Amino acid sequence: MTGAANTQLLNLACGLFLLTAVGVLGRRELSALIGLLTVQGVALTGIAVLLAAEQRSGEVAAVAVGVGILKAAVLPWLLRRILHRVPEARETAPLVNVSASLLAAAALTLLAYAAARPLVALAPSPAARAAPVGIAVLLIGFFLAATRRRAISQIIGVLLIDNGIAAVAFLATGGVPLVVELGVSADLGLAVLVLQVLTTRLQAAFGDTDLDDLRELHD
Amino acid sequence: MNRVAVALCAALALAGLGASAGLVLPARWRSAAVGAATVAAGVAGAVAGAAAVSGTGWQVRVAGLLPLAGVTLAVDALAGWFLLLVGGVAAVVGVYTVGYTGRTGRGPAARGALALLPLFVAAMLLVPVAGSVSTFLLAWELMAVTSLLLVLSEHRHSPAVRTAGLWYAAMTQAGFVVILLGLAWLAAAVGGESFAAVRAGAAELSPLVSSGVFLLCMAGFASKAGAVPLHPWLPRAHAEAPSHVSALMSAAMVKLGVYGIVRVAFDLLGGGPRWWWLLLGAVGAVSALYGILQAAVATDLKRLLAFSTSENIGLILLGLAAAGLLAAAGQLAGAGAALAAAFLHTANHAGFKALLFCGAGSVLHATGTRDLDQLGGLSRRMPVTTGLVTVGALGAAALPPGNGFVSEWLLLQALLHQVPAGGTVLTIAAPVAVAVVALTAGVGVATFVKALGTGFLARPRSAAAAAAIESPPTMLAGMGLAAAVCTGLAVVPTVAAPALDRIATGLRVESAPLHGSGIDLRLAGIASSISPLWIAVGVVGIAVGFAAVARAAGRPRRRARAWDCGDGPLTARMEYTATSFAEPLQRVFEDVLAPEQDVDVTHSAESAYLVRAVEYRRRLPDRVESRLYRPVIVAADAVGRAACRLATGSVHRYLAYMLTALVAVLVAGVLR
Amino acid sequence: MSAAWIMAVAQAVLVAAVAPLLVGFTRAVRARLEGRAGGRLVQPWRDLGKQLRKEPLIPADAGMFFTAAPAVLMATSVLVATAAPYLSTRGPLSAGVDLIVVVGLLLLGTAALALAGLDTGTAFGGMGASREMTIAALVEPTLLLSVFALSTRVGSTNLGAIVAAGVSDQARILTPASALAAAALAIATLAEAGRLPVDNPATHLELTMVHEAMVLEYSGRDLALVEWASAMRLTILLGLLANLFVPWGVATSLHPGSVALAAVVFLGKLGVLGGLLAVGEVFAAKLRLFRVPELLAGSFVLGLLAVITSAVLA
Repeated sequence: MTGAANTQLLNLACGLFLLTAVGVLGRRELSALIGLLTVQGVALTGIAVLLAAEQRSGEVAAVAVGVGILKAAVLPWLLRRILHRVPEARETAPLVNVSASLLAAAALTLLAYAAARPLVALAPSPAARAAPVGIAVLLIGFFLAATRRRAISQIIGVLLIDNGIAAVAFLATGGVPLVVELGVSADLGLAVLVLQVLTTRLQAAFGDTDLDDLRELHD
Repeated sequence: MNRVAVALCAALALAGLGASAGLVLPARWRSAAVGAATVAAGVAGAVAGAAAVSGTGWQVRVAGLLPLAGVTLAVDALAGWFLLLVGGVAAVVGVYTVGYTGRTGRGPAARGALALLPLFVAAMLLVPVAGSVSTFLLAWELMAVTSLLLVLSEHRHSPAVRTAGLWYAAMTQAGFVVILLGLAWLAAAVGGESFAAVRAGAAELSPLVSSGVFLLCMAGFASKAGAVPLHPWLPRAHAEAPSHVSALMSAAMVKLGVYGIVRVAFDLLGGGPRWWWLLLGAVGAVSALYGILQAAVATDLKRLLAFSTSENIGLILLGLAAAGLLAAAGQLAGAGAALAAAFLHTANHAGFKALLFCGAGSVLHATGTRDLDQLGGLSRRMPVTTGLVTVGALGAAALPPGNGFVSEWLLLQALLHQVPAGGTVLTIAAPVAVAVVALTAGVGVATFVKALGTGFLARPRSAAAAAAIESPPTMLAGMGLAAAVCTGLAVVPTVAAPALDRIATGLRVESAPLHGSGIDLRLAGIASSISPLWIAVGVVGIAVGFAAVARAAGRPRRRARAWDCGDGPLTARMEYTATSFAEPLQRVFEDVLAPEQDVDVTHSAESAYLVRAVEYRRRLPDRVESRLYRPVIVAADAVGRAACRLATGSVHRYLAYMLTALVAVLVAGVLR
Repeated sequence: MSAAWIMAVAQAVLVAAVAPLLVGFTRAVRARLEGRAGGRLVQPWRDLGKQLRKEPLIPADAGMFFTAAPAVLMATSVLVATAAPYLSTRGPLSAGVDLIVVVGLLLLGTAALALAGLDTGTAFGGMGASREMTIAALVEPTLLLSVFALSTRVGSTNLGAIVAAGVSDQARILTPASALAAAALAIATLAEAGRLPVDNPATHLELTMVHEAMVLEYSGRDLALVEWASAMRLTILLGLLANLFVPWGVATSLHPGSVALAAVVFLGKLGVLGGLLAVGEVFAAKLRLFRVPELLAGSFVLGLLAVITSAVLA
């Protein structure tokens, strides 16, 4: 593959990666959110594969395969299982309304772009230039987790944060050591499992998964 | 002798003559005489301005006129632009005043109110030509005081006028104090009070001093210009003042706030660090958005126009900020375009806002109300006024082929074409600014469609609106003049190119930002162009052509009942009002506007299920005012009440206070 | 000079002639997909002819604004159709009418129609005007950010320059920035042209109408002008979308052969976009009015991302 075409594809994958994060903020149906997360996982895998192809590195390719299996298949599957157990299908009343969330996403992207300038200046390669995308997704993930009520939305927020970190790691440093990625993935799997248990318990205790109900435990 | 000097002296003399005529003449002749003198003074001021922008400078120092400092006047191209603007507005409004104030001899036609009008114009002409700090402050205060008295001319009419006067007095004096502090600090730091001395010494100022002076002056001037959050006086004073005064204030006086910012920040201080311009841009963006949103939901026609003034000032400040930012980044082509956009917009806004405030005055004159919900149906009863207001609204909505469009196009060009290497701040600020300008323009169109559509079209919603008659010819003539100026600026904006060239060169930005063959408007260093003349000719020509062909080919129109769903004839109560028109926008921007709504449902006595009456009330208080100013007012009030305890009414006690203060000062002097 | 004017007039005539056919085509595709027989391709032209022969009525309270609006709307459409680079980038108005002017002219047409809606004095007219202006106000940021994304890489907002740059350097077309800008502009186009999911052009229920509510009182030749101009707006917007992002086939000279070829390619692109629009409308439902701002906020973010992406990857 030629370098120019590779860069084009990388840019497209990064664009898709960011777009799915924005889309997550724009949709209300929880199943649509999981679908978008799956697409984002595919885009992240694409980024990893393209980097592996560019560096002709077996280790990066192995990480790419691992990322693909985890983010595009396992985690969405787990989330769908949780979704089947709870009755809510929609994020009905987010703390910040959808239009404002989208505008906030725009502002966070601008911030990410500004904040990543020194990082880009450090290693001005085409991949590093796309690193702000990862930071933007990370910030959007935080925003999502902070402003949504449903437990599943919050899990998705956490997963966005992780995707963002992974993307920054890939783009800025050209790949992550296999061990690190394995550790992070194990952590994530654990987090999702814990949240699954939490969701089921919440459902049993309060009848829905609005995390604001947890405040009652404090009183 | 110098042309500028002759014209300027003539303007001041004519204004004086007008003031004395207002005091002396009987009510029958007063309005006509004062109007004529105001027109003459305005024309003379405009002539002086035209001479100044075409390159004639003038400087004079009259030592004996004021104690200590004397009076210094200095006219350059920048001053000339604002002289031209103030003079032009005064001429238009002068004509209008004759019919508007009439021969009653009361209210705005009272002796004092009429005599003050030429004095206010004279003060506004003096502000840009002042050549030293003390002269400037004198002219500024004169302008503030005369305008305050004019705002109060109908104080017997309603308590709202008095409240507006109080707000205006408080804010304009606070602004004056801030400007006084800033300019005095500047003069003290450079060791000279003439602007020439300040300009020469500004390079050696420490960043602390120059930034402090910038902040103080910007606060004062922005409050005069009506920029958010220093705007609360503006919608009150503009709404409650007599309409010819509103027109003068909105079209001319607030521009002098812009003049102050340009004079101090660009000229005297010679530019500054990046954060100055980012701050100015942020103020501009907030003013533009907040102003137009408040205008969009306003139902009082003059309040709507007043908030639209805040919006336009916001756009002008955005242009100035872009010019400063781009100039600091070395992108002179963009800076020149942004500066040209800001200056052209001052002129465009002066044109259409004078026209629109006069139009609102005509509506008030004919119907006695400014409430858009009570108006409607004026287009048949006041066709000429409606047509002229349409020209103004086209400009204010920034639609082609109106005049506001040209300056907004320039502003967008300046923002779009900054070179990508301009740095992170520019890369982020430019799209945000473009989005702000775009949303402002979009909501602006909705606002003026509302003002025109619910105010003037369809059928009248009150007896007063149904009884409206067309305004007297002098009022129409004044508005017609303003409409002609608007059309001229819209079609051949290139006439301003030489003046803008001199101003930009004088401010050490780009030389010749605009050029063109008179038809095409081109920019230095940016490859975009438009030809406003072609656009205007195209739209009007094709529309007339299609209308004519359709008329010739089709059958004649017949009037018929509108579709009423088969449920009896429609009444005016079923029309969309200004409130209902703006409801979707109000809902979309609910988080910003925070409307207060009450729905009271009265049930029938027989059964709780039968509703007898539903009452809906909506209030849209100015949120900035209630959140930012109320606490300050409450605190000031508390301090005042606490201080009452010091004043017991005993003369001995007061004398003791004075003695204590005197002793304290002397002791401090000795110890030093 | 004169060759350029001939080309421009021919282009305007082409757009005016094709516009009702495009509407007929989208209706036919939609009907076929929904299992209906549907009308013929030329049905909108026949409708226009019939309306021209009918007697125009005006509401008792309407005035000049009501009667003038159709002509103004038509004028804005014709002017844009003359100036835009549909066939050749060397049009006679390419230095006089740029992308910002096109946005402004379309908004002028919308405003004229909204004023006409208010002028009727009926609640439906006012309702349509109020909704249409709200949507138009919210579309504006998206439109201008798309202009920003398109014009920075060329350094000019002139339509001819943007399309010519696309024709000469095709590698610039398939970038994330232009894909995002195209998506943003596509949503804005749906809103501007009053198509699903923002407005339903086929609705017969007054309470859900936006555009149709404003023009409810028009009849006869006035209605014909409004419908024709609205069809032209759709054609203009789809044509701009096609030529700004897929400029292949647009002539860069005034040679009659290449202009004729460009006309064929242009019709093909319109057909494809019209077909896509129809297919999309089969599956889309109209959004609630107060959900439209969410859609437009989304398109705004796309536009902003397009600008930022072009800066990041520049």
